Amino acid sequence: MISSPHSSVRKISSGGPGGEAPPGPGRDHNHLPGDLLMWVLILSELAVFGAGLLAFLSVRLTDPTGFAEAQSHLHRTGAAANTLVLVTSGWLAALATRAAEAGQTRGLRLLLAAAIAFGAVFLTLKATEYADLWAQGIGTETHAFYTFSYLLTGFHAAHVAAGMILLTLVGWLGTPKAVEAGAAFWHMVDLVWILLFPVVYLL
Amino acid sequence: MLLALSAASAALAASGVTGAALVLPILTLAGIKAHLILKDYLGLGTAPGWLRGFDLGLALLILAFATLALAA
Repeated sequence: MISSPHSSVRKISSGGPGGEAPPGPGRDHNHLPGDLLMWVLILSELAVFGAGLLAFLSVRLTDPTGFAEAQSHLHRTGAAANTLVLVTSGWLAALATRAAEAGQTRGLRLLLAAAIAFGAVFLTLKATEYADLWAQGIGTETHAFYTFSYLLTGFHAAHVAAGMILLTLVGWLGTPKAVEAGAAFWHMVDLVWILLFPVVYLL
Repeated sequence: MLLALSAASAALAASGVTGAALVLPILTLAGIKAHLILKDYLGLGTAPGWLRGFDLGLALLILAFATLALAA
């Protein structure tokens, strides 16, 4: 089992990795860790995907049988495997943040390379699913279910691809701040998938 | 922990249960995983007020998911 490294993103006001110091005078324990802009991005992405998933479930009310039949064509096992792939990748990115804080440049690059490799596995499994659907003649116009599922999972996959590029860049830079920002984006991608997967594939 | 929770979701979906017996545990597991990512990976464990705010938002979103899923 993978245990969660605590506080991948540093708390700016705590003065130490993980911000795990006990409460005390002068400490602001409600200061957002990391970059404010990254949190704006995280909130924006959660709002966009949340709205998309709510719309998906709302439209499903008009044709639950059709949605259930359409869902049966998706690769549920592959998507479940992709959840494990992304969670593992997020853990590696968190370890890379720790390595960056410890000044271990070679270590952080190896960890980020592994995280990126898991991202590639995710995209490969996703591409396999798309190819199989297309081979069955299933496109975005086939049913409302596929319009939403292609849109939501495709937009998420685009974020995975962007995250892989971002992790490559921050690995090249190698500074703790850059690695922290890249890892935060990667965790956001993970977070969105955690919400998207059960709604689109399981319910 | 996240891997175990993800495996539990997959096992539940493969078990053949349907309706509320499927929707509620799966969405609860998703909520717990999202909480852990926010707390441990994104560092909100050091900012409990923000973590509570995010948890509240997530809980409302997941409650809306469950309501719509069960209404279908």
